[in-house]
Amino acid sequence: MKKLIALLLCLVMVLSLAACGGNGDTNQPGGDQPGTGDQPGTGDQPGTGDQPSTGDQPSTGDQPSTGDQPSTPEVPEDTGRYVYKTSMSSMPANWNPHTYQDADNAVPLDYITDSLYTMVFNDELHPKEGFEPFEGYVIIPAMAAEMPVDVTESVKAEHPEFGIPDSATSSYAWSVKLRDDLKFDDGTPITAQTFVDSFMRLLNPEAANYRAADYYEGSYAIANAKEYALSGQPTLTSFAAMGTTYDEYIAGGGDASKVAVDMANFWAVTGPDGIHGFGYITDDTMVRDPAVAEGEDEAYVSAKYLWDNYLGPNGAYAGTGYDTAYAGIIEVPYEAGYDYSNVGLYVSGDNELTFVFRNAMEGFFLTTYAMSTQYLVNPALYDSCLTTTETPGGVAYSSTFCTSVDTSYSYGPYKVSDFQTDKQMHFVKNDNWYGWNYDGYNYVHPEDGETYHMYQTTEIDIQNVSEAATSKQMFFAGQLMTYGLQADDYDQYLNSSYTYRTPAETVYFFLFNGYERAIENREAAEDFDQTTTDIEMQLVESFRRAVAVSIDRNLMAQTVSPARSGGFALLGNLYIYDPDNILYYRDTDQAKQVLVDFYSMDLADYNNDLDAAVAAITGYDPETAKVLFDQAFQEGLEKGYITDNDNDGISDQTVTMSYAMSGEVSDFFEKTFEFLNTSVNKAAEGTGFEGKFQIVPSAPRGSTGWADYVRNGQDDTQMAGWSGSVVDPFGITESSWTNSASAYWGRWFDASADMMTINIEGKDITMSMRQWAQCLNGTMVTVDGVDYNFGYLQTDTENRLTILAAIEKELLLQYLFFPVMENGGVSMLSQQVYYVVEEYNAMMGRGGIAYMRYNFNEDEWAEYVASQGGVLNYA
Amino acid sequence: MFKYALQRIVYMFFVFMIITVMCFVLIRMLPLPQLPPEDVHSLQIQMRREQLGYNKPYLVQFWYFIRNIFTKWDWGLSETLYPGREVWSVFVEKLPATMIVNLYSILWTIPVGIALGIWAALKKNTWIDYTISTLTMVVISVPSFVYAFLIQYILCYKLQWFPFLMKGGTDYFSWAMFKSIVPPILALSFGVIAGFCRTTRAELTEVLTSEFMLLARTKGLTKTQATVRHALRNCFVVIVPGIFGEFIGILGGSLIIERIFSIPGVGGLTLNAINGPDYNIFMLSTCFYTAIGLAAGLVVDISYGFIDPRIRMGSKK
Repeated sequence: MKKLIALLLCLVMVLSLAACGGNGDTNQPGGDQPGTGDQPGTGDQPGTGDQPSTGDQPSTGDQPSTGDQPSTPEVPEDTGRYVYKTSMSSMPANWNPHTYQDADNAVPLDYITDSLYTMVFNDELHPKEGFEPFEGYVIIPAMAAEMPVDVTESVKAEHPEFGIPDSATSSYAWSVKLRDDLKFDDGTPITAQTFVDSFMRLLNPEAANYRAADYYEGSYAIANAKEYALSGQPTLTSFAAMGTTYDEYIAGGGDASKVAVDMANFWAVTGPDGIHGFGYITDDTMVRDPAVAEGEDEAYVSAKYLWDNYLGPNGAYAGTGYDTAYAGIIEVPYEAGYDYSNVGLYVSGDNELTFVFRNAMEGFFLTTYAMSTQYLVNPALYDSCLTTTETPGGVAYSSTFCTSVDTSYSYGPYKVSDFQTDKQMHFVKNDNWYGWNYDGYNYVHPEDGETYHMYQTTEIDIQNVSEAATSKQMFFAGQLMTYGLQADDYDQYLNSSYTYRTPAETVYFFLFNGYERAIENREAAEDFDQTTTDIEMQLVESFRRAVAVSIDRNLMAQTVSPARSGGFALLGNLYIYDPDNILYYRDTDQAKQVLVDFYSMDLADYNNDLDAAVAAITGYDPETAKVLFDQAFQEGLEKGYITDNDNDGISDQTVTMSYAMSGEVSDFFEKTFEFLNTSVNKAAEGTGFEGKFQIVPSAPRGSTGWADYVRNGQDDTQMAGWSGSVVDPFGITESSWTNSASAYWGRWFDASADMMTINIEGKDITMSMRQWAQCLNGTMVTVDGVDYNFGYLQTDTENRLTILAAIEKELLLQYLFFPVMENGGVSMLSQQVYYVVEEYNAMMGRGGIAYMRYNFNEDEWAEYVASQGGVLNYA
Repeated sequence: MFKYALQRIVYMFFVFMIITVMCFVLIRMLPLPQLPPEDVHSLQIQMRREQLGYNKPYLVQFWYFIRNIFTKWDWGLSETLYPGREVWSVFVEKLPATMIVNLYSILWTIPVGIALGIWAALKKNTWIDYTISTLTMVVISVPSFVYAFLIQYILCYKLQWFPFLMKGGTDYFSWAMFKSIVPPILALSFGVIAGFCRTTRAELTEVLTSEFMLLARTKGLTKTQATVRHALRNCFVVIVPGIFGEFIGILGGSLIIERIFSIPGVGGLTLNAINGPDYNIFMLSTCFYTAIGLAAGLVVDISYGFIDPRIRMGSKK
């Protein structure tokens, strides 16, 4: 027996030594810097955002497109099993590309779909002039066989129905030759007709598909897609859009019975039918205004009431511009039965598609955004999943497409192999994807110089993990690839070699409440003690400015959220105004001048060096703050907002701002309030507001409800922000900043009435801030009989930058808010994998799953984790 | 008894319908999510809502709802949580995961809880009683999600005895599945054990000091015979409804435990349906639990008569 035990022990020792030796020579994770957590926030998700879409190309020789690509060395075959293991706190339930509405449901599409063109890092195989390898990107054909060809002239001549402007000679119509080897995962061939059939299904007016709007509205709209998708639907066209007024409309023989009020955008209530946002001016059906307390004046309003009291000829807003912006005509502009043959996507030749756009389009935006074909579906499978249901409203279309393995499809690198509702999702390689044999997806590794094919990952596994604590344990046990650091982790892991910072585009700004009517109502409430508390001081600009210069932005970020950085302007550092050449807005002189002007920097102090002046900005100016607080104190006394009955030179009231909480007060918010209150009160020392400023959290308002509380003036502040497309800094001016319906300050700052004069090419042009924003984004605006359009491809980029900077500066100088922090995330990446690119690239991220490489395959990884005792060290 | 049961069933139907109508109207009275101003998708959402008839009178909507159930057993389609899917199939798919975890939990917790309660009562005012009673109070005072996190940390992370999450798939009676649900079973069990232990101890302690127990002993029964035949039977009038309650709770699920261990069950389904809002999911889950609750009430009431012959439901004498 003793001999047997001794023999077994020897065997164990030999095996152990062998195992140790194996680990030693391979990819010891410590030395090899792993990739990155290129996702902000929770770390529960793969870095899908920065993953190049799944576009790919065919095999070899017949690869047209990029022409000047060097020939590709042979890529060694790797037969290992590599599983990307990730988690989501909320699992996809329906990834139908025509109907999905949120980011969770879009996650599978990153793996199972593809595109006509795709972005890859520039390297030896995809060179880009002026850029070092992996610092830029190159657009290559994926499902397309070659780059698009401009056919505007011929299409304009042959197809007048698309309405291409007579003056246009290019950029409106493009033809694309498709690859011949495109297939769905079930082997069904994909042809040009498949794209058209899919697009027709997307726009089907009876289906009311959510994603249809992506293709018929906005800058990238397909010609006449809107006419087809909305045929038979009533819409409200404002008098402003018609270029008229109510009086002119009636005088011109207009039908008064068609006139309606845009209740949703004017008063933030739904229309009388509870569905549409508008109501006829004769309709006196009362609807509830959630912004006003029950029993108070205007707790209920009707379209007739709003018209009679505000927007009509005898209303308070007659002639202000509101009356034309928020009232108009209800019509059915697109008659039912509109023929699809008028829509600008059609088969134009042998496996060739032609796109006709409503606006001119070229370069980066053409190939990546405008030619997005995520609507592509397998028509036979799609139709088999459709059902119609008899409803109180008539007939509703429903579809089980993409709700299970059987009803899912793929034309991308992976396909769904397992799905359990609210539990898990598993993907395996789609063997029918042409991209596995496409040389365009080869790249030269920046470290070892070897040529690899993208997508080393062979399987993707998504588990539902809701709790951060569980995610963390699973990550340290080697069962997840990423983990988004929580505040408690910063001390231990912020400086780990496995930790990666990922900047984000959102700049958070601290809001002030300027809604005078709401403030007065709140102060008049019975439970409001005006002898000790004040909220009216927010209406005094000097007070707002004083608070704005009391905060050291970078110190605040370090104190309350080290993953983020100080924020100084409305647009952050990630925004790119020229994606073709990767040029950043904040690097322009116009943008730097905005910062210098807003923070009152004297260039002379920095030898007229803009960069030096910008680098010196902290946002913190205690001396100016004291002057402004003193000024505000006097103004507050004069206006009766505050009192000083004991004549001690200090306000009797504490200025108390209610912070609209979405949920419970977390550690982050406690730190934030502490920092803000301390900073402002310190800056106010020796002034009339010494110790008289505080921010207090509200009751939880819900994840979306808080914004309404701020817009309605029921709460005073939030650290809010917007994230737009990082390659379109211009768009956010129209969609958010100057849009009274979505801007937090829309109820008390009217961008339509704020006139701005900007010098464009030596000529002073004056129009409202809203109009500047609109014409910056392609809307023709007429001023003094002259038409202006400063949209994409309509004017020189320098002019667009000048306008963008002017709007940003004008808004900042209103002191409706002040920027404080720029968003960012910190996450850790598993020792099992790494990205070939360390530095975050605003266009490409870190390459996503396409550029992810593995230090260990699955078997090796299991052995490695076991050898570490089941818990890995990431410190 | 039969007449009484029949009468109760008729009443149940009326109560069920009243609750159904109330819930149908109340959920629709909640304002639908406001459409993002000037969002290009808003019009598509408006068109969809109109198609679904959300702007039609409640009575019209209710007629379609009730007609489809009675004629086609069609509970409608999910609109926001599981778009396009039949809500009945979603519910039926998710119910087993909840049931299996809860079933395993109560199968061992009820006997253990009652046994501990009996032991504490029989050893009243001894160190055994004090220990059990103190632990019971401590366990009851701590919410189950605290145990869940502790169990996950110690048993799954540190000791690596069990997986972090419930296993995927529908092989509910496989060894791998059982092993994966041991942590949530444990997390759910402590509170149940403590509850039954406390109730049993309190009831049994009282019964053991009754005069009829003294009579039982004086007529010659052993302590065990007197306890099992007389004391326990009296206690069960209180304990049995609790057991029924636990079995009904099998269908309910725990929101937080299911979140922590990734159990794809029905815990939180109703809450999510309200937040959605997803009218059809809400109505199905509400109707289901209302029906189960009403039926359980009837069963419990009838069970009293079997446990204690002195109780006769529906008897006028």
